[in-house]
Amino acid sequence: MNPTVVKISDLKVHYPIRKGFFSFGKPQTLKAVDGISFELKEGEILGLVGESGCGKSSLGRAIIRLVDATSGKVDIQGIDFLALKGKALKAKRPQIQMIFQDPYASLDPRMTVFDILAEPVKAHMKLSSKELEERIKKYLELVNLPVKALKKYPHEFSGGQRQRICIARALILEPKIVVADEPVSALDVSVQAQILNLLKDIQQKLNLTMIFISHNLSVVKYISDRIAVMYLGKIVEIGSRQDIFASPRHPYTQALISAVPIPDPKTERNRVRVPLIGEIPSPINPPSGCTFHTRCPFAVAHCKEAIPRLENVAQNPAWQVSCWEANLV
Amino acid sequence: MKPILEIKNFQAHFHTRRGIVKAVDDISYQILPGETLGIVGESGSGKSVSQLSYLRLLPSPPLKIVGGEVLFHGKDLLKMTAEELRQVRGNKISMIFQEPMTSLNPYMKVGTQLIEPLLIHRGHSQEEAWKKGILELKRVGISDPEKAMSKYPHEFSGGMRQRVMIAMALTTDPELLIADEPTTALDVTVQAQILDILKNIQKQTKMAILLITHDLGVIAGLADHVVVMYAGRVFEKGTAADIFEKSQHPYSRALLKSTPRIDAIQTQLPVIAGTIPDLSKLPPGCPFYDRCENRMDICRSVFPPKKAIDPGHETYCYAEMSR
Repeated sequence: MNPTVVKISDLKVHYPIRKGFFSFGKPQTLKAVDGISFELKEGEILGLVGESGCGKSSLGRAIIRLVDATSGKVDIQGIDFLALKGKALKAKRPQIQMIFQDPYASLDPRMTVFDILAEPVKAHMKLSSKELEERIKKYLELVNLPVKALKKYPHEFSGGQRQRICIARALILEPKIVVADEPVSALDVSVQAQILNLLKDIQQKLNLTMIFISHNLSVVKYISDRIAVMYLGKIVEIGSRQDIFASPRHPYTQALISAVPIPDPKTERNRVRVPLIGEIPSPINPPSGCTFHTRCPFAVAHCKEAIPRLENVAQNPAWQVSCWEANLV
Repeated sequence: MKPILEIKNFQAHFHTRRGIVKAVDDISYQILPGETLGIVGESGSGKSVSQLSYLRLLPSPPLKIVGGEVLFHGKDLLKMTAEELRQVRGNKISMIFQEPMTSLNPYMKVGTQLIEPLLIHRGHSQEEAWKKGILELKRVGISDPEKAMSKYPHEFSGGMRQRVMIAMALTTDPELLIADEPTTALDVTVQAQILDILKNIQKQTKMAILLITHDLGVIAGLADHVVVMYAGRVFEKGTAADIFEKSQHPYSRALLKSTPRIDAIQTQLPVIAGTIPDLSKLPPGCPFYDRCENRMDICRSVFPPKKAIDPGHETYCYAEMSR
């Protein structure tokens, strides 16, 4: 069994909402992430799925400290990353890096590829200029870009190539953990497969631990070992890829999977969907009890009153679901 | 059955400072009354631009219609005067756009913009139109439609706004609905709801739907016929079964194979090498040449002529593919 690399416990990200400029009333809170816990083993890819507004990006950003968590812990090899400050924080930062969705917006248009890749190295390591160049070339090669790319600017590249640059930038400090937030969502289908395969290859080569955030379940299924399904700031089901896709237990997971169109007319036209009513409610005033009860086709009276907790499915601690009506056998 | 819309050898180019961008290059296809025609393609394939250009929704210049015919009930839309086209556009041909956030006017009440087509094309009174508007909102599954009419777009979620867009497009009972990526900005569960609404309304009204999308799954669920486009060209057309099960074009095949699927365990995705070409620097031959696994010398110099596989199933490729 691989060792645990990250342990996230009861992580919360609450944003205060003020209505109007002079409002002195009670400030409301938007609970983007509301008590999330999970562990990641070395070399594992966890797919984080959910619809827009479920808090998946806030969770990713809180883990890497791009937004401040309200409470909770992110233990990276026994050290609480969220409690670090100053030099200790800087020393730890190279271990956890991020790849963003939009490769057009996440590269500085005025920097050459060399400068883009050199920036994190210069900030965190003392290398001679020759060592720096060698390192940059090594990572350029890792993402299959030619050396002549170094003198070019981001606008000279296509979306897929830019995402390769972003990947190289995230990996050049040899992180243990990479948070990839919708890394292929902005790409065309024919380019998406290239980047997915590249991420998968690199992950295996470097034994990276990865959190892969996406709204696209087909993509998540392809790349992940384990899947966590989020709804209104909470994990409603987490388990291995095999378990989640073969026999999802949470009605929301079932609905999500059944709503993804399959590119095969015969299969697609004969599918039975788990129908969902309406859309995701506002996280400012989430529904009582199980927050999913307003859309759930199986909700009973109890679901409105009591909040379900994550419980093991089939006595398997690696597969958990939070639903009063779910089959746990 | 006579086609409702027939596009013949249509060409539309952009004249820019960087040169001529051949956004739509000699495309032909047709759509029959009551059917759904799916147009698939990646960015820059010309799938949207072709519709926008014959409906004259793009500024010209830079757009220049170079040639071809676009026949709606046998009448060439390209030869109509602006006034004649206005009688068709938004009336017999309606359109839904991808971004429900930006295609509604934030300063106007939903009801006011919803009934505009009725006031303009049908000469309804304000009161009549408002009543019809309420029915339209009901039809697309908006609860409490009376109240919704008096709200502003920002009070709605993305899915609700897209419902409003659909309702607006349907107020005049169009014969052809052009849906340009209608669900791309939406979550999958909402996408399923919206696609169901479109299917049900089509069953009732028998309107034709021209569905533009990059999502092969959406096409598989809805389309009777499919057109595959790439870099301004039509590569293949046929029934949904022709394209999904016995495609004869290397691009359509590769695109299908490289799509991650929820109903399969894929260990390694086959990829299409390279990237989508720059439309202002297209080679004379087939624009897929650089990325194609079946390429031959002739592909580089001359775009392949039409090849009929079965009745209605046509490809534009020199290669003989295994069946």
